[in-house]
Amino acid sequence: MEKVIEILSQINPFDLTLVILWGLAGVISFYFSIGNARVWTSIAIGFFLIFISQAYAINPYLQYYKLSAFHYIIGTVAIMLITHGFLEYYVFCKTFEISGKKIVVYLTTLLILAASGVFLLINPTPGPNTIRNIKMVENAIWVFLCLMNLELVRKIYLSIKDSDISKGFIAFGIVFFFIFLWKGSELYLQVYLWDKDWQDIIAMATDEVTDIDQYPLRVQLSQQVNKYAGLLSGLSVGGTFTYIYRLLK
Amino acid sequence: MFLLPKGSPLFENLAASKLKLPEVLSKLSTAAFTGYASFIFPATTTLLVFESGKLVSIQQEDQRGEQKNGFEALTELAEKIVTSTSGTLNVYKLSKDLTACIHSLLQGEILYKAQELKLIDIKSLLDKIKSDQMNGCLRIYTADRSAMIFYKEGNPLGFFHDGSQDIETSSVESQKIATMPGAKIDLYSTQGAEALMDMDLLQVTNVQTIWDTAVERQQSESAKVSQERQERDRKIMALKLNDLEEQLKTIVSEYCGKVGRAMVDKELSDQGGNFCIIDENGAAKLLAGIERGAKLLISATNIRAMMEKLTNLVQTAQSDL
Repeated sequence: MEKVIEILSQINPFDLTLVILWGLAGVISFYFSIGNARVWTSIAIGFFLIFISQAYAINPYLQYYKLSAFHYIIGTVAIMLITHGFLEYYVFCKTFEISGKKIVVYLTTLLILAASGVFLLINPTPGPNTIRNIKMVENAIWVFLCLMNLELVRKIYLSIKDSDISKGFIAFGIVFFFIFLWKGSELYLQVYLWDKDWQDIIAMATDEVTDIDQYPLRVQLSQQVNKYAGLLSGLSVGGTFTYIYRLLK
Repeated sequence: MFLLPKGSPLFENLAASKLKLPEVLSKLSTAAFTGYASFIFPATTTLLVFESGKLVSIQQEDQRGEQKNGFEALTELAEKIVTSTSGTLNVYKLSKDLTACIHSLLQGEILYKAQELKLIDIKSLLDKIKSDQMNGCLRIYTADRSAMIFYKEGNPLGFFHDGSQDIETSSVESQKIATMPGAKIDLYSTQGAEALMDMDLLQVTNVQTIWDTAVERQQSESAKVSQERQERDRKIMALKLNDLEEQLKTIVSEYCGKVGRAMVDKELSDQGGNFCIIDENGAAKLLAGIERGAKLLISATNIRAMMEKLTNLVQTAQSDL
């Protein structure tokens, strides 16, 4: 407990706010998944996992690089689960086929996470470079799947335009827009070696260099977008699930 | 219709629909029966005259007074027995002489038919019969009783009335009927016995074949009618089910939007068509499927309201159909 308080005092207030917001969003979405159809389980669990992945900021054991890497893997699994959920919903809108059990979603998610954990355990401890790579892969998957989800949400909305829940999908569209900005901006920085992790790596007396000083405006803009889009993502997810909960009440 | 006086009853008011014509005729023939059998149906009366087991005469008369004889009458009788649900058979024993008189009567020609007694100069008529030396029969009757006076060469031979087995000499019964309100007379001229054909119709016609044909025709008609009825019922049912389906879709789309119609289509298709609406198990599965889909589209409150309407509709349909 003391260690947690020590970490909390060291943490950036902005990052802490982000984690708390994602925490709230995670609780709301997890609660939503319990009382609703299987299709919502994938989506809600996916958003809950985002909170778990973001909680690295308050994880007292982050010095263990394998755990740090595991956070980013959780983030990747999260967006895949969310996309799977929206795909199922789209299939339902076109065919009205609903099949499968909730327990299968929970168990499969746990299995994938367990397998990822095993993967990390059996491999060498990742260095800062490897962790950064894992983070880049996560961001790339997020960006592309966000675009796919935006399209899915659009098609779903058109199919069920006059039903109660259709407006909830407009809210999801907003969510994915913010997430696209959030992860996209970070990926942009990573691709051009302007991200903080890379700066920390080259600061460790390596031969690597950076041209970050030549593009201060882009770097600053991307950093700000990343910061606030992340915040808005957390807010919009919590708000969206609350809204949908009220729509389906 | 033609009503003969009742002789000595052998059988009365047997239900014709339970009889088989070949068996009846065979029994009367084998027993060397002398007398007549009458099959009375609402629209027709058929008289079969037997002499010592030989079917010597058969006549069918309908309500309009049109008569048929011989093979045609036999065929019609078979049809009537097979198709009619009402109808009775009466069998009366008569003496040979009386049977011969009845036989010649049926072969005879009608001179006066259904003349009201009070409007006729009966004395003049009797004088005419005598003066013309007629062979004939004067039938005096009301709706349910009749008596006959047979004449040979203008002279009365005798009387035949209810309960007689032979030609009677007493005219009491005839006079009684003549005084009843609404009494009428028919006058027939008949041929002499020697002029009559004494053919046994059972020998020259295959009654079994006539009967089998009538039965087959009736069965085929029944099957056709039944098929038509089933087809009609099927069409009516299909229309009702289509209407029910439309009502279902209207309710679901009212709550779920346009997508509701497609959802109902899919669930109906899964349950094998709209007949499932009136089947208890099928309807339960249908409604469960619709509810499952609706959970992804509308609020719990609206689901409850929608399911209540759907359940009421289905229950009403099941009780009506």
